[in-house]
Amino acid sequence: MIRPTWSGRLAHDLQNRGLSAWLLCGALWTFYVVLYFGVPYTHPQGGLESFQAWLYQNATLHLDAWGARLSFGRDEGHIYRGDRWTLYALLYTLAMAIGGAWMFHRYAHNRYQVVRTACVLSVQVSFAFAVPILLKFFGHPEYYFSYLWPLKIEYLDPRNFAYFGEALVLYAFAASLIVTPLLGVFYGKRWYCSWVCGCGGLANTFGEPWRHLSQKSARAWAVEKVSVYAVLVVALASTTLWFTASWFPQDSTLAAWADTTRTYYGLIVVAALSGAIGTALYPIGGTRVWCRYFCPMAAMLGLIQRAGRFRIRVKRDMCISCGLCTKYCEMGIDVRAYAQRNEDFVRAACVGCGLCEEVCPRDVLRLENGRITWKRT
Amino acid sequence: MQIIVLGNGVAGTTAAREARQRAPHARVTLVSEESPYFFSRTALMYAFMDRLTRRDLEPFERHVYERERIARVHERAVDLDANAQTLTLAGGATLRWDRLILATGAVPRGLDVPGLREARSGVVHFVSLADLDACEALTPSTREAVVVGGGLIGIELVECLAHHGVRTTFLLRDDHYWPTALPTREATLVGQRLEHHGVTLLGGDTLAAVETDGEGRVAAVITARGRRLPAQMLGVCVGVRPQVDFLREARTPPEIRGGILVDEQLRTSLPQVWACGDCAAIQLPDAPAPLVETMWYSAKRQGTLAGANATGASLPYQRPLFVNSAMLVDLSYTAVGRSTAEGTTLRTLVRQHRRRPATQRIFCEGEQAVGFLMLGSSWDTERLSRWVAEARSVDWVRAHLASAQYDVELGPLDLRDAEEAWEDWPPVAVGAAHIGRGT
Repeated sequence: MIRPTWSGRLAHDLQNRGLSAWLLCGALWTFYVVLYFGVPYTHPQGGLESFQAWLYQNATLHLDAWGARLSFGRDEGHIYRGDRWTLYALLYTLAMAIGGAWMFHRYAHNRYQVVRTACVLSVQVSFAFAVPILLKFFGHPEYYFSYLWPLKIEYLDPRNFAYFGEALVLYAFAASLIVTPLLGVFYGKRWYCSWVCGCGGLANTFGEPWRHLSQKSARAWAVEKVSVYAVLVVALASTTLWFTASWFPQDSTLAAWADTTRTYYGLIVVAALSGAIGTALYPIGGTRVWCRYFCPMAAMLGLIQRAGRFRIRVKRDMCISCGLCTKYCEMGIDVRAYAQRNEDFVRAACVGCGLCEEVCPRDVLRLENGRITWKRT
Repeated sequence: MQIIVLGNGVAGTTAAREARQRAPHARVTLVSEESPYFFSRTALMYAFMDRLTRRDLEPFERHVYERERIARVHERAVDLDANAQTLTLAGGATLRWDRLILATGAVPRGLDVPGLREARSGVVHFVSLADLDACEALTPSTREAVVVGGGLIGIELVECLAHHGVRTTFLLRDDHYWPTALPTREATLVGQRLEHHGVTLLGGDTLAAVETDGEGRVAAVITARGRRLPAQMLGVCVGVRPQVDFLREARTPPEIRGGILVDEQLRTSLPQVWACGDCAAIQLPDAPAPLVETMWYSAKRQGTLAGANATGASLPYQRPLFVNSAMLVDLSYTAVGRSTAEGTTLRTLVRQHRRRPATQRIFCEGEQAVGFLMLGSSWDTERLSRWVAEARSVDWVRAHLASAQYDVELGPLDLRDAEEAWEDWPPVAVGAAHIGRGT
């Protein structure tokens, strides 16, 4: 390793789990804890609640105050009140925009990367930022059209149907249960994970400097296969439970279970896994920790992808085993293993970001939507 | 049965794994001095550029050797006795073998110019892990560098040095880069990309002398035309030659002609000894001279064959249609079939793009397409090879060219945006392959 300049050394340190990477990880983690866990309890009952109240008083409160500066509107009837979530959405979108600009610069020669980045950025700016704010401003429920069940699990929770209204519920059903599998069969999971989703969007823009840190070992794959499908099962079971509870409204036991699962799913899967672990771990564990190990949407799309048309084609006898594809796979797929065996492949994990194809110095790999076959690789 | 493979490069490692598959009960041992584990030599430049770590260069997880029961010995071999069927190591130990596969690879060619041998530091090659260590150690104290030799290894080293901000001069014996593989038009495009990255190209000149400072570090190079180029690093990348030196001195030397002479089944002149990869010179039945192929792809193919034949098969080496590819700075290079300067002059249809640094060149014999040379975009080598095998006409190929494009989705090169011309190439016979083809 040679880095003759101080900026080069810092970049290396930041991208290779050095001190600066750990500091950034700590800062991000602290931010997420403040964002998600501060609660303004008036009479905290000790323990966790006291901590949450303390956190709110000393930190979360200030995030809300900064977020409130993002309010706008003329009078009481037409006013948008910002809070810490507005601030978070703004920071998130800015981070993606900066990372996206870098992507455009870095991969200007690769039209797949340019179009993909443009798409994921526009979705973020519109459906994940501007539209929810405008909806709220005009007195409608805040709705993120780019987030679908089971990633946004509450969109198919019958308890919320009355709040969202018929049109949005219909949209949620159609988008999650018809459009998603259909596009998945034709284009693989990439249409969502790399072209639409904000989680993937942040990873593929702001997170680019750390994509190579994903674990490549066979052991990591073994863990992933268990954890990601476990979350999917939990998501499916929770949704089933919520529907059952709504069909038997008089059953108080079911209602209590439903509420408990809502609380814990929100706390563990949404706040801890997708936020604090998924994003804060970028500088240490690579970009797609949430997508790879925990996201139920990715798990579901992965299964569809295995049966669909998407595949990575491998040019026969052209791989030089350099390992750039494996190194820069954010999902930790050992792409080189397939390439040096001359095997076209479809992996459930692959989000179709196209970076393996981009970094290959011999143009061996190509993302394709082939014909439907049922052959397993 | 004990099978020993000497050399754990791509040829040796492929041979060992093939032997293991075909002879599940044999003992297979890989002997190598350079590195305890197989690594991708072609990826050295990415390690130098800090895009890969040393460990990333290893194509297999380390437990693969245990799983496949391939033993490793990390030591230099110094003697070979085919009568006693032994291999002697530098430490004095003797390994007995029943079958021996030699895959010793190649070493950089040297240059003999005044001052070069006196230079105690600053002179580098770029083919081994030790070379990589030396390059990395020297780079921080290097402001200017000169790289001699216009082949693939040369351009890799130039690219790495430029990446690290070193002012690099690429000293080319001919007017353009890589004359054995690239016509002037293509070589010019590559040269422009190099210049874009701050490299100075110096064509038609050679190294004449090396100046050193008080500590023996390279200080400047003098060219044949009398230029003095200050440089703290001198890269010598003028090709490689088979690594056979210790075999010449061995108790029972195999026959050596350029490389270790082998027949079409990769058998050497010694009983139960095979050779494959860069070190082998294959005498094919219908060829006038033995063939030394110093390419990753050939080494892999030969390794598979040697591993098979050493465990009982008797398969002949079938030289496939020539295919090579590389990344020249940021231009993809693809060559298929008869497309190098080493054959007779051919008529070529060349298509050069107006807005992008890209060309396609179709080599013709009569009306038939016999080879391709593509620069600046990606191509399906399998399809191009098939067209050559099927003896397609140049008109047919030109009409179907788009079906062999392998660019990324959404971004195929617009083939209509090109000017076409007919050129003979090579215009006159370019001298014998004085520049190694390298990786």
